[in-house]
Amino acid sequence: MTVPERPTHILVVDDEDQIRRALRSILGSRGYSLQFATTAEEALLKAIDKPPDLVVLDLGLPDRSGIEVCRELRTWMSAPILILSVRSNESDKITALDEGADDYLTKPFSAGELLARVRALLRRAAALTAPPPVVEAGDLVIDIGRRRVTLRGDEVALTPTEFDILAFLARNANLVVTQKMILEHVWGPEWVEDAQTLRVHVSHLRKKIETSTAGPRYIITEPGVGFRLSVPEPANDDAAETRSPD
Amino acid sequence: MRRWLSWLTLHGYVLAVLAIGLSTLLFLPGRATFAKGQWALLYLLIVVLVAGTSGTGPAILAAILGFLCWNFFFLPPYHTFVIRDPKDWLSLIVFLAVGVVMGIQTGRMRDREARAVAREQETRALNRLTAELVSGSSTEAMAAGVLGELVDLLDVDQATLFVSVGGRLEPVCAAPPCDALAPELVEAAQWVYDHDEPLDPSAERSGGDTLLPLRGQAGVAGVLAAGPHVDGRSFVRNEIRVLEALANVIAVFLERQRLQAAASAAETSREADRLKSSLLSSVSHELKTPLAALTATVSNLLESDVPWNEKSVRRELQAIVSDVTRLNNSITALLDLSRLEAHAWEPRRELYELGDIVAASLDNLPAHERTRVEVSLPDDLPLIDVDFEQWSRVFQNLLENAVVYARGATPVRVGAGVTDGHIEMWVEDEGPGVPADEHEAVFEKFYRGLQTGTRAPSGTGLGLAITREIVREHGGTIAIENVVPHGARFVIRLPEFGIDGAHTPAPDGATKGAQT
Repeated sequence: MTVPERPTHILVVDDEDQIRRALRSILGSRGYSLQFATTAEEALLKAIDKPPDLVVLDLGLPDRSGIEVCRELRTWMSAPILILSVRSNESDKITALDEGADDYLTKPFSAGELLARVRALLRRAAALTAPPPVVEAGDLVIDIGRRRVTLRGDEVALTPTEFDILAFLARNANLVVTQKMILEHVWGPEWVEDAQTLRVHVSHLRKKIETSTAGPRYIITEPGVGFRLSVPEPANDDAAETRSPD
Repeated sequence: MRRWLSWLTLHGYVLAVLAIGLSTLLFLPGRATFAKGQWALLYLLIVVLVAGTSGTGPAILAAILGFLCWNFFFLPPYHTFVIRDPKDWLSLIVFLAVGVVMGIQTGRMRDREARAVAREQETRALNRLTAELVSGSSTEAMAAGVLGELVDLLDVDQATLFVSVGGRLEPVCAAPPCDALAPELVEAAQWVYDHDEPLDPSAERSGGDTLLPLRGQAGVAGVLAAGPHVDGRSFVRNEIRVLEALANVIAVFLERQRLQAAASAAETSREADRLKSSLLSSVSHELKTPLAALTATVSNLLESDVPWNEKSVRRELQAIVSDVTRLNNSITALLDLSRLEAHAWEPRRELYELGDIVAASLDNLPAHERTRVEVSLPDDLPLIDVDFEQWSRVFQNLLENAVVYARGATPVRVGAGVTDGHIEMWVEDEGPGVPADEHEAVFEKFYRGLQTGTRAPSGTGLGLAITREIVREHGGTIAIENVVPHGARFVIRLPEFGIDGAHTPAPDGATKGAQT
């Protein structure tokens, strides 16, 4: 875990004063360097002026849609984009994810949720060059390199497809993964419309790794979007946070 | 034969000529048998018969013809109109007078009888039509029956009813059906509607039809049009009377329809007003209470007269979070219901595990209530085809309802099963249950239950209304069953999607790069 030379730079794009104030308080107090934009135009200019490590983007902007901003940023920028959405524009949220956004948060959200997403996105961005060979989610250990999965030390017998789905979720631990992404990655681009098949495979996978039928602990459903593998965060994080003592 | 006879009756003058001619031929051979006066009596008999069958006009004609024939053939000298005996003059004049008077009298009687029969027929037909009008629930049904009868009764080509719909005339139904309506007829009906004047077949724009305005209290309600007779003749007076009577009855029917529509519109708007005001009071209470608590708590924290220690600040902040959550839930419920009612929240259905959905709904329950909920789902329960978010809202509402109404630490059970092609899901509590007469009402907006002696639980009163709306959107049903000894069980039935979660429909072989 290395200490970064400069603080992590986040571009926050939201036209609402109150939301910007809240984000400044939550992110600023944890040592992230912040830059704010209130319109799509301003956001695109500021992103070029000072390339961010992460963008927090509200979908409802006054001049252009957040989806377009996503699309334009993705033409040259690889930094993760976190979408802020409200419940009434869910389809926009999915479009934004398809256009290159990396994760989303639905308003209203808590500080804890926001920080967890930001950390997960930054961690994955840093790990892209060298993906972790083993992902531990509580009692569940996914050894991607050896293609082995154990639950409380016992090996779980998974079909190749089930393993591929789980491994893909593990590589994006704590981040939303759309159905389209999984289908494309596991089955191939020609299968992206076959969401039913995926649902059934995930259902089987859950039966093998989840301990209770009354609700999954590891593979969390993101309604209408896809799934998220819930992994407890490593205690020692390399994010640019400087926790104030309680 | 019968047709020929009825033709004769109809064309009475021909019958009069034929009757006198034929009887003269019949009488001639026996000219010497009876006295000349007796032949006059026989001719009078024929006149009476003609009067009886064909009415006054033919009877007078028969009397004159009989007078001439008797004179020509039976008063000497024969075969001339010359009268030798002056006494015969008297006989002739008396014959003519008696013949004409008898013809007129008998004919009148016959005409009166015929009119009585015709009127009785009309009355019967009108009664039948009126009965149809009164019992008819819709304008279409009424028109279909009445116009058919009208065509039969008056023997016309076609009958059409035009009804005013929002100031525009629309053909409701016609015999024969509407699709072949002549533009001239539509124009003529519009003219009658605009001018509130009838058109008779002789009028230039009528096109041979008879058009009558249907007058109601609020002006012309429509137009009744009847086409020309099948045989081309124009309407006689009593047929026009029938048409007018019918127009009056239809106008009354349309008037009744209009009043009913106005009454139900008024009822709807009253209901909407009632809902609006109860929405306002319920919503303002639900929004203002947490807001008031928030204002009080936050302003208290800002007061500097008390030294706040960190522990108490934290406790106050927890209270703030719970108020904010409550506020958020109320606003979400309101927005959800308006989206559902405006059909702006179409379910995005996909296959999900029920356990997954129930877990998501449990997350939204207060932590101390969560432990009361016992979820027990069969392992082989099929995936359900629903909108995840909406369906977890359904369970959240049912669970909140259960933990609120069944107080204490009694368990709340969630279960599911498959019966004849349907997936049944239920939430069951050990509360007081729902009285049978409230099984429907609890799903109404703002309904809070009638039980006395219990405090009305807080809440927007929208939860179950939202639940029913969502279940309906998914093509399912929701019902309440009471459980023994006490408690309520909300059962949702949803058609099974057909994919068994326990089997694999897609080949694993489709996996690419299985061993990377």
